Amino acid sequence: MPEADVDKVFRSLLSVPHETTDQAPASLKARLYSAFIRRQQESGPLASLDATVASAHGICVFEKLVQIAPVAEKVKSPFFCQVCHARVLAENFDNPPIFWPHCPYVEFKQS
Amino acid sequence: MADEQRLVADVLAKDRKATADFVSRCSDWVYSFVRYRLTPRTEMVEDLMQETLLAAWQGLPNFRGDGSLRSWVLGIARHKVEEYYRRSIREAESPNDEDSALEPTVIPMIEQQLDTAMQQERVQATLVLLPETYGLALLWRYRDGKSAREMAELTGKTEKAIERLLARAREDFRRRWNDARS
Repeated sequence: MPEADVDKVFRSLLSVPHETTDQAPASLKARLYSAFIRRQQESGPLASLDATVASAHGICVFEKLVQIAPVAEKVKSPFFCQVCHARVLAENFDNPPIFWPHCPYVEFKQS
Repeated sequence: MADEQRLVADVLAKDRKATADFVSRCSDWVYSFVRYRLTPRTEMVEDLMQETLLAAWQGLPNFRGDGSLRSWVLGIARHKVEEYYRRSIREAESPNDEDSALEPTVIPMIEQQLDTAMQQERVQATLVLLPETYGLALLWRYRDGKSAREMAELTGKTEKAIERLLARAREDFRRRWNDARS
């Protein structure tokens, strides 16, 4: 078989009809988000929750508790989701039983 | 566009919610792109997505908003996928390559009437069985459309070596395809 024909056959075999527009699995988004925030923290504190609220982003009920706690600002900056069970569930299941408004891990499963 | 510029500014300010939005949007764009290029060898999809998003974040200060954020991120993803192909093929051992009597591959195997979906399934199953380098070389050449010369330049190998690699990959593919049929 001439080489050009061989190439043609393989091109036809290996082509996929079209690039799909699949959404990334929610658990993958959750793992990427956690990894991403950890990397961001390595170069200094995250934006304060006050700044987040001021930017018109919602915060979850647990973050709200932290935001209003009478403690120093730097105590409020860590990645609290690190210790939240919503993160653990979301990183391991695509449809985890978590439902709090404004929790990023809940939003990943809805997006 | 203004929405994207604001998102970028908020991510750079390390706003966790903006970051979640960024990760969610980029993941959907990059997932389809990377998966399409690597299927069925999808074990690297997550790593490549992470590398892409990380590179995008590190490069965000340079994002000027001339084009869309999607195009910009997919440009990074394209580069990462290509780097993965290149690395895998460059690091692969080159067997004593004077056995290039393999060419031209004869493919008496493609049933013209084979149902497309069934054929796709069989192609994926065959690709999975190939050694990684062979599978990637075939995907890079035939799905991504790189010429042997381009592959050679990108991997630092000679064009002849790439042609031999492709010939062996095609031959292995043909053999496994036929084995599965018998």
